[in-house]
Amino acid sequence: MPAIVIAAVCGVLFFAGYKWYSAYLQKSVYGVDPAFVTPAHQYADGVDFVPTNKHVVFGHHFTSVAGAAPIVGPAIAVFWGWGPALVWIVVGTIFAAGVHDMGSLAVSVRHGAKNIGTIAHDVISTRARTLFLLIIFFLLTLVNAVFAVVIGNLFVANPGAVIPIVVEIPLAIFIGQYIYRTKSAALVPSLIGVVGLYLLIWVGQKVPIELTGLADAIGVEPRNVWVVLLFAYTFVAARLPVWLLLQPRDYINSHQLFIALAVIGLGMLVGWNTVVAPAVNDVPDGSPSMFPFLFITIACGAISGFHSLVSSGTTAKQIDKEQDVRHVGYLGAVGEGSLAVGAVLAATAGVAATRADWDELYPDFATASGGAVGNFVNGVGEFATNLGIPLDLAVIFAAVVVISFAATTMDTGVRLQRYIVQEIAEIAGWTRLARNLTLASIIAVVVPLAMAMLPGGGEAGYTFGVLWQLFGTTNQLTAGLALAVVAVWVTQRRRNPISVLIPLVFLLAMTAWALVVNLKNFVEADQWVLAPLDLIIFVLAIWLVVEAALALRKSWGSGAPGVGGTPSDDSGTAREPDYSDRT
Amino acid sequence: MDGAAAPTVTRVVLVRPWTDGRAGGGCCGGEVRDGVCRDGTHPVEELLADPVGQAWRAVRRELPDADVQVVDVANTAYLLPTTFRAVRRRSGERAGVLASLRAAARATTAGSVLVDGQWVGDVAELGPDGVLAAVRRARAAVNT
Repeated sequence: MPAIVIAAVCGVLFFAGYKWYSAYLQKSVYGVDPAFVTPAHQYADGVDFVPTNKHVVFGHHFTSVAGAAPIVGPAIAVFWGWGPALVWIVVGTIFAAGVHDMGSLAVSVRHGAKNIGTIAHDVISTRARTLFLLIIFFLLTLVNAVFAVVIGNLFVANPGAVIPIVVEIPLAIFIGQYIYRTKSAALVPSLIGVVGLYLLIWVGQKVPIELTGLADAIGVEPRNVWVVLLFAYTFVAARLPVWLLLQPRDYINSHQLFIALAVIGLGMLVGWNTVVAPAVNDVPDGSPSMFPFLFITIACGAISGFHSLVSSGTTAKQIDKEQDVRHVGYLGAVGEGSLAVGAVLAATAGVAATRADWDELYPDFATASGGAVGNFVNGVGEFATNLGIPLDLAVIFAAVVVISFAATTMDTGVRLQRYIVQEIAEIAGWTRLARNLTLASIIAVVVPLAMAMLPGGGEAGYTFGVLWQLFGTTNQLTAGLALAVVAVWVTQRRRNPISVLIPLVFLLAMTAWALVVNLKNFVEADQWVLAPLDLIIFVLAIWLVVEAALALRKSWGSGAPGVGGTPSDDSGTAREPDYSDRT
Repeated sequence: MDGAAAPTVTRVVLVRPWTDGRAGGGCCGGEVRDGVCRDGTHPVEELLADPVGQAWRAVRRELPDADVQVVDVANTAYLLPTTFRAVRRRSGERAGVLASLRAAARATTAGSVLVDGQWVGDVAELGPDGVLAAVRRARAAVNT
């Protein structure tokens, strides 16, 4: 079947989900009130709380949530066939991610735009905030570990990508400083930066950087040398002000996002590539079963707990009218789902010309997971050749795009992990750690570094796919916590929470099931790093189930209304900003 | 109805520089103090000193019917098409495509004050009163 036809069908289904299901959620589940005074109005200050046009907020929100994760999971999950992967992405986006993203935004707007951890404390229990911080700690640890491995693998497979990626760092700093100091428009210099980056692809192709000699000399895999260098870089980068490197590089990457989407869409259209992978793959004996592992392998792209962090952090403070949560939250989920669909098609239609070629890339789960990102990169490269770009350059281009996103995710992840380490230390009373930036940064880097060094090429006994599944598990637990908060809030408002409870129960069931299966496998294989980690995450999952059940039982009994603001009157006086009389 | 053309609602866009970025997104959307992520907002003194915030509050207070938006300089997906369309609309489609594109590109300058797509100055250079005056002048020019 032509890939572009599948993309079009998915687009129609996403549109239908937005048109009808999000309207149902808005009216019947979240009870959105156009007269409600949002925190952006209630606390309006022009800095943190600013009532903002919904299209502006969507631009902010989508670029904050979009990253490399919806690429990796789907590129692995097509191992079970493109059919199940696509069904989970489409159904998950419409009935789980949309509910989750829109719900966490709605509940935050009704709670003074507080973050989901604080709302969990308010709505569920005081223990829930500690649970939240622990889940986020493991989520960020695994995010940083898996993306270090992804980048390391891509550098090894595409040594031509090293120079563009390394030079992008000073390039972004230079462009940021140029724009800032000369007060010039940001668009043209940043586009020149993107062009410069792509010219460096040609240089990179001529001068590939490989660390095989160094790796051989010290007796490790080249991938692991890259992983160590990456964490050394993030240790330094996380200490820099966000405006110096992170934000200008994000800006350059935002152009790359649109360029990559255009290349995938136009390439599929022009080349009319057909999907050669099986709809349902007859996987070899001993492979992880589709249930439950498909549903944790594809986390971002079907449902991602990380979105609740963005929704309840900065986005909620900008919501102008309460009904805008539908446009911003639900469409943000749809945007992420669309990226995941593109990843599935690149890994099933772009990467191979025949079924036999594809089977060689996905013979077993270890090979499939280890090569998944490379398959996506080669698939996008193939789409790009349909537009007249030489294949070797096109593949490096795709690798540069993925590495750029992954590196930015690592930068942000290590930075956030530092905050989380300090916050956990503060709760635990470890004052020295809570106040010591360097110590917190070291912990934020060393723990994921240790995790990233573990996956081997078979000898270490487990694969990148296992590490990825643990990441998916913690991401789903974060989503579960946010959905539990939303479900309790909806119940307190005497509305039917079934549309929230179904994805919540499904996610927790799949997560717990996968954790139990993996725990058994780890113990049998004497994996004494992974087994305790899996057990800890399982305990957090059970803790979450208990907290959610207790809170739901309590809210069914009391039916206490949720905390919220007061509706404005017709004259709009209630919408006057708090700081309107001060300059 | 008195037969006069109804005044159009002016859209004022204040382009926030990314150097103003404070805490990161996600769980750390609030204040970061001593390296620790805290829920909440910035201190009042800091809020009151912020140039974009000052301009935003001044325009909201004096021109309550104006649509005032604070847009991050990196939000190209919003700034480019809306500025392009606003320039074309304001000129009655007489502005050429190239001129409209130039205006749209200029809108991505940090600190820009845009009135219906027209660049009228820089937030920090004008100050809150200057921004207000510039917006009033731009509105008057459109209405005449």
